[in-house]
Formats: sequence, structure tokens, C-alpha cells
Amino acid sequence: MRTVAYYKGCLASLSAKELDISTQALAPKVGLELVELESVTCCGAGDIHEAEPDFYLHLNARILAYAEETGADTLMTVCNVCTLNLRQANHALKGDAALLDRVNENLEAVGAPQYSGGVEVLHLLWLVAAGEGYELLQEAAHKGLKGLKIAPFYGCQILRPSKLLGFEDPDKPSSLERIIEACGGEPIDYPAKIKCCGFPIIQAREEVALAELIQPIEQAREAGADAMVTPCPLCHLSLDAWQLKLREQTGKDFQMPILHLSQLIGVAAGLDGADLKFKRHVISVAPVVEKLSV
Amino acid sequence: MQVPLKIWRYDPVAGQKKLVEYEVDAPEWVTLLDVLDLIKDKVDGTLAYRKSCRMMICGSCGMRMDGAAVLACKTRMYDIVQSGHVPVISAMGNLPVVKDLVVDMEPFWGKIRAVQPWLDSGYSDPGEKEHVVSQEQMDVIHKESLCIMCGCCVSECNSMEADPDFLGPAALAKGMRFVGDARDKTEVERLQSYSGEHGIWDCTRCYFCQERCPKGVDPRDAIAKLGAQAMAKGIDTDLGAKHAKWFVTSAKTTGWLRETELVPKTQGVVSAITEVGFAMQLFKRGKVPPPVPPHVAENVGEARALYDLVKQQGRDGAAGIVQVEKPLGRLEFEHEQEGHEPYGEGSFPRPQPLLGEDEAPTTQ
Repeated sequence: MRTVAYYKGCLASLSAKELDISTQALAPKVGLELVELESVTCCGAGDIHEAEPDFYLHLNARILAYAEETGADTLMTVCNVCTLNLRQANHALKGDAALLDRVNENLEAVGAPQYSGGVEVLHLLWLVAAGEGYELLQEAAHKGLKGLKIAPFYGCQILRPSKLLGFEDPDKPSSLERIIEACGGEPIDYPAKIKCCGFPIIQAREEVALAELIQPIEQAREAGADAMVTPCPLCHLSLDAWQLKLREQTGKDFQMPILHLSQLIGVAAGLDGADLKFKRHVISVAPVVEKLSV
Repeated sequence: MQVPLKIWRYDPVAGQKKLVEYEVDAPEWVTLLDVLDLIKDKVDGTLAYRKSCRMMICGSCGMRMDGAAVLACKTRMYDIVQSGHVPVISAMGNLPVVKDLVVDMEPFWGKIRAVQPWLDSGYSDPGEKEHVVSQEQMDVIHKESLCIMCGCCVSECNSMEADPDFLGPAALAKGMRFVGDARDKTEVERLQSYSGEHGIWDCTRCYFCQERCPKGVDPRDAIAKLGAQAMAKGIDTDLGAKHAKWFVTSAKTTGWLRETELVPKTQGVVSAITEVGFAMQLFKRGKVPPPVPPHVAENVGEARALYDLVKQQGRDGAAGIVQVEKPLGRLEFEHEQEGHEPYGEGSFPRPQPLLGEDEAPTTQ
């Protein structure tokens, strides 16, 4: 078992609880012992980085410090946006001793633990797409997806900027495909799998965001996908819930089921319905479940 | 070595597109631009592309290789040839194609002009002595000053693809270059102008610009600097700015995002009411968590106190991002996982940074 500090972020605590529940249920099957952080806050989701960047840096330093306090050397995330925000802050703090000193003084002043730079921020995807995690995944995913056609959707902030993320080629990623294959599914290829889902501006510029969102869903549908899978709950919310808006505005009713990464592996690994929580999806996952139960 | 490649040719007279394969004999040190020169000299003189300096400074030879915008003169061919991969070359995206690899840059220049890319010093008489700008003041716009206006960032901008009127990464980075210039006296007017409908808050944070820029400008970070600076100056009425502000409020009150209140706080109550039908469908699936009782993080008082503390320390606005540019600038492409190779079979690292380009400037 590899012990990791677990930062679930806002969405998995709130509207995407199914992500948290399926991640917790899946973890032991892929060799992960999760130590949940209780005293942490939102990472800022890129918004605080833009509104109050110094506050963003301190909030993320505080999350890293609480992760370090657990004794784990890894902080596991389940969201692209959390991953980028935390890695960016982590690299900035590790790379500048004076900056780290100032931030630590401030953390101490408010009674929070200090950060010494001993934590690496890794997304669940990376922990199960390579090395020992991948071997365990291959064993665990025995139940199989029975050749189901799955369109991988990476989202932006797990690929770019690659200097900060760098797990794989940002233009030709293959981790999700590897996982889909290990789960017995057939990965579908389509150009928009590395593009944006539009979520960051879906409130402020809905029309622009929907023009981005339609591309991956439409392409995945045309390529014959039974479902899409994403490692990011913001992409999930956009792809799943805002499909209703796409239907409203374009008349196209894709009915494309969207799975969280932990649910996809969970299905293959035999987790039951109580741990997968498909009822919390806006677009029904029933067609996928039916195909698998035949 | 024999260098094979495929080029998307476009004939504007016939209005036809076709993929043509070429193979030329070339020395091992060639760049993509050298190969195009060889094809034009020896195989087909009608091939059209732009070039000038051949040394990554004029910004003329932006084009796509396998769908990703690159400077042809910065892209070495040796590793690609050795792998057996035959790359596909095409014109940049988000700009109209004139012929073959040549795009019409007029929409690009129009947006650059729209941000008023010149210094407005507020005086006409230079006075008796020069105005000294400190290294620290220059650091604020160091990265933005590196832009060679090649258009590689614009080529793959996801927001511009969805909204062709978006000012885009190149123009906004140019805007930051003047907003952050200690000698410019029109900062507030600029920030107001860039905060319009197709401005700062149109950016969808896809980070393609940051990935593609061959000069280390990091246009997405430049846009974040503009957003931060605009908000520090109280220019915060755009929906995007209100959205960002709600995250700050959430973090310092409950610690976690107050998700359900995000829509009325961003779009206003009236607009939120028109969304009730949509919200109800989400509610049925548990996607609209009740705002009461709020989900409060343990020890959230620490986050509140941190907010008050950092607000007193004067690193508001762009300064909060500038302070991390040096450590982040030293980052190389890497991943800490031992023995993990990010580039698998059939994929190639993007052109590496120029020597010295990624070194942060030293303060004197």
C-alpha cells in the first residue's frame, strides 16, 4: 500500500460527490491508502490565481503544508485544475527559498503548519497509469469493460503547461488509453480529446464555452463512443450537465454518458452501484450499464 | 539523410487543398525551414511559406507540424527522421490561409493594433535627464517583451476558435507589456479597454498558448496578470471578474467554493432566475448542493487570517504573479517520477527553450 495525502477539492466534496465516493472505494484495489485532509480549502481553481495571486499562493502553500504534516510524500488530486494550481504553487515555493520563507512566516502567523517542500502533487491518473499502480490496476480491472468503446477526454490542465505537468506528451497523451485497454475497453481516438471543455468561462461567456464543449462530444459520438471518460470533475460537469444546454441551443441531443476516471476503473474492477453513484449523473449512464450486464 | 514529409498544399485560385508527400536529401543538422527551402529549390518552386531571419527572431515562419504550431526555423528534423515518423506540415490555425503555408496575418495585426501597442508616457518633452527604469520594474514585463509576434499562440487558441473576435493571447500579452511598463501613464484606461466583451475574461485557460509559444512569453500568465491588475484597480464588473471574486469570498468564508451561489453572484439574480429550469434538472441529480448549512473547512479562520495578512503586504495585482516567475522560469520539462519517460513512441518533445531563454533575469 502506498500512503498518499488525499485532496479532493471542491467539486468532489459538493456537486461531484460520486467522484469522491468512487475514488475512496477504488483506492485499496489499486494499492492506495488515502489520508484525507480535513483542514484544507479550495485551491482557487485558477480564479483566485487571477483575482488575488498572492492569496492563491498562500492558500496552496497551506494545503501543501497540511499534506506534508500527514507524513506522506505525495498529495493525490482527482481534478485537473487542482493539479495545476497545486503543482504551480509547489514549484514556485520549492524554487525560491526567500519566497518560501516569507510564505512560511505568514503561515506561522495564522497558526497553520509550515511547508518544507517535501510533497509531490500527483493526479490519480498518473498514479494508476504507470509503474506499480498500473500493474495493480491491470489485476484489479479483471471484470472488464467487455469491449465498450470509450472516448478519453483529457481536459487542459493535466496536459498543459507541460513544463508544470509533464507526465506525458501533451499533444499525444496515452495514459487514459492505456487504462481503458487495461479495463477491457476500446479507446476511441478523436482530435478534440486534448482540447478545452469550456468550463472556466461557462458562467461568464456561455456561448463561447458551448462552442468549445460541443466539439469533443460531437466527435466522440461520430467516432462511435459508448461513453466518455475524464480525469477532471470540472470537465465532467461541463460534458455531463451542460449537454442539456447544448440540446437547448443546438437541438442536438447527444445522450453521451460521461464517466469519472475512478468510475471507469471502478466498473471494470467490480465496484457496486453504491460506490459508483451513476444516479448522480445528469445524462443517464444506463446504456453503458446495460451493455455491460448482457 | 533522406527527409520525408507531407505538406498540406492550398491552391487559392482553384480553391483546392491536397496533401503532398516530399522527400529530400539533407544534412543531419537541418531544421524544418531548411527542408522547405530544399523542396522549393529542388522539387517544387511553387511551394509558398514565409521566412526571413532563420534564427527565431523575426517570427515569420510559424506553421503547424502534426497539428501543433512551431517556428520552422527552430524545429530540428534529425530525431523525427530517425524515428521513421513522417510529419504533416500545414498552415497555422485561427487565421485564413492565403496559399499553402502562408496565412493572412491581418486579423492578427488588427488585434495587436487594438491594444494600442505603443508607450503612452503622458509627456512630450523628455526633460533634461533620462527616466531610469529599474531592473525590478523591467522584470514585470520581461517575458511579455520577448514576443516576436509569430502567431503560434493564436494558432491553437481554443477561445478564439469559438469566438473569432477574442483579442487573444498575442494581443493581450502585448497589452500586458504596456500595462506593466513603469513609464506608461494609461494603465487604468488600458485595463478598462482590455476587460471588454472579447478581452481578458474570454480566455478559457486551455494553456495552448503557453505550450506553443517558442519564446517563453507565457501568454496565459500575461492574461492572468492583466486580470489580477484590473481587479486590483477595481475594474471588476465583467462576469469573469465577478466569478473570480466569488472564489476569493468563498475561500475566506467557508474555505470551499460556495458552488450554488456562484451563478447568482456571477450573473446576477435576474439572470439566475431564468436559469431555474436548468438548475432544477441539476438539482434532481444532486448537482446543486444546498447552500445552508454551508460546507465549512476545519480551521478556516487560518485562511481568513491569511487573506487579511497578505493584503497588507502589498503584492496585489500582477505583482503576485510576477513574484513566482523566476522560480517557474527555471523549470525544465521534467517529471519527478523516476524512470518515467513523458515522450513515448511516435511523439517528440516540442522545440526546447533557447539556451539562456529560461534563465530568469538577475536583479542588479
